[in-house]
Amino acid sequence: MFYLKVLEITSLYTILVLGVYLMTGLTGLFSLGQGGFVSIGAYTAAIAYLRFGVPFPLALALAVLIGALLGFLVGIPTLRLRRDYFLLVTFGLGEMVRAGLLYLAQLTGGALGMAGMPKRVGLPLILGSIAVITFITYSLKRSRFGRDCIAIRDDELAASMMGINVYAHKMKVFIISSATTAYGGALYAFDILFIEPNLFNWLESAKLIIITFVGGLNSIAGVIAASTIYYSFGEFFRFIDVWRDVLLAVVVILVIIFRPGGLFQGLSLLPSRLRRKWR
Amino acid sequence: MEILKTEGISKHFGGVVAVEGFSMVQRDNQITGIIGPNGAGKTTVFNLITGAASVDHGSILFMGREITRLPAHRRTDLGIARTFQNIRLFGNLTVLDNMKVAHDMKVRYTLWEEMLRLPRVRRQEREIDEKARHFLAYLGLESYAGQKPQNLSYGIQRRLELARTLMTEPRILLLDEPAAGLNPHEVRSLMDTIRKIQEENVLTIVIVEHHMELIMNICSLIHVLDFGKKIAEGEPEAIKKNEQVLQAYLGEEV
Repeated sequence: MFYLKVLEITSLYTILVLGVYLMTGLTGLFSLGQGGFVSIGAYTAAIAYLRFGVPFPLALALAVLIGALLGFLVGIPTLRLRRDYFLLVTFGLGEMVRAGLLYLAQLTGGALGMAGMPKRVGLPLILGSIAVITFITYSLKRSRFGRDCIAIRDDELAASMMGINVYAHKMKVFIISSATTAYGGALYAFDILFIEPNLFNWLESAKLIIITFVGGLNSIAGVIAASTIYYSFGEFFRFIDVWRDVLLAVVVILVIIFRPGGLFQGLSLLPSRLRRKWR
Repeated sequence: MEILKTEGISKHFGGVVAVEGFSMVQRDNQITGIIGPNGAGKTTVFNLITGAASVDHGSILFMGREITRLPAHRRTDLGIARTFQNIRLFGNLTVLDNMKVAHDMKVRYTLWEEMLRLPRVRRQEREIDEKARHFLAYLGLESYAGQKPQNLSYGIQRRLELARTLMTEPRILLLDEPAAGLNPHEVRSLMDTIRKIQEENVLTIVIVEHHMELIMNICSLIHVLDFGKKIAEGEPEAIKKNEQVLQAYLGEEV
């Protein structure tokens, strides 16, 4: 029972990490505002369900839609900026969402947060979602979309000289990422059953990025593994919980020094790749 | 036919004049050279034509169509392809994927089809794969398909950049110092390659180069730039004897 519960919570976070993977891992766009999208997703679904009586599946879809829309709106002015400015603007966005949720207390419950959602999300839905998101991410990665992401990460100018519409591509990446992250947030609301504005601050956004890096920029399997290890660690070792972040910091430093491509650099769980390795 | 025409294009960086009123007419199926001392603005001319930098004044026409304000990726789609002075391959992609990226604007499947990996995606991916391998083989690079560019020798990387431009289905190739860093043997093979590409693909080629042997050998027309301005234009024999050109290169009258 306990292990299943741990797996459930861990997997919830893995969805968020997968949401960041295409953007940060493949395209090299850093957003410190993804926590804001998690909150947007969680609150959209919760408010739609509790305040407006929207049925749960529709509330989920609405969360994804609002997440994508917000990603689009934020992307318009910011994705043409240099990457460091993009990072700063998204940081501001995340904090803005947090402040907004606190301020709009009538709708969101303010600092008291929101409770009263029925338990509608369990392990099967979460794992099923991970399977679907992984499939989509992987499909994108192995065709045009993925190689264009990497080309943009490596050299934007050269990418545009090769005919890639860099701005449009980044927009697609950001929207997909935001929608996925918002979806994760909506699942969170109906799984944990309590949300409050401070749950996903910029530090949580930063952790998503760090886990992507530790797992390996080019490896989906590695990212999932790193996320599972990190988020389950806290549950198993509650007594040293504060040390979790210290340990993470140490691991990050070691990985950057000794395995700059990530812990699971180039790891692929495809049958064809595995066969090649062992032949 | 005129394939490319620039009319008095200028570019300033702050107070520095990079290119000033540069005009050229490029005829179809010709190899043209642009030469000039370091800092004369040769690469900037390429950047303006390809859209890597924006034009301050003047206009650019490509196949009769005004492209002065067109974004870079649209110009590539129309048929303008280039290589870079300091090689710019994608380090995290294999040689094969470097090739494919340059063809991706021509791909017709949608993002949704791609997410679900529908049959049309698989079919087109196979076609792209074939095309990429074809052009790798065309320049004798097929054995490097699975490698990362940084593991290849300098000469091979230059060759790969050339092969990559062919994937964009270009009408005109702009080669920015293709011979830089190559040894004499490699330069000679490069000359053959450029000629071969030009003839077999019915292409127009513009070359920025310091390597005089290469320029004089394969170009039918040469533009000479100095301090951002064109100081001469003509056939190789005429350029060799042009006093202004000699002055620009040697600094005094000879």
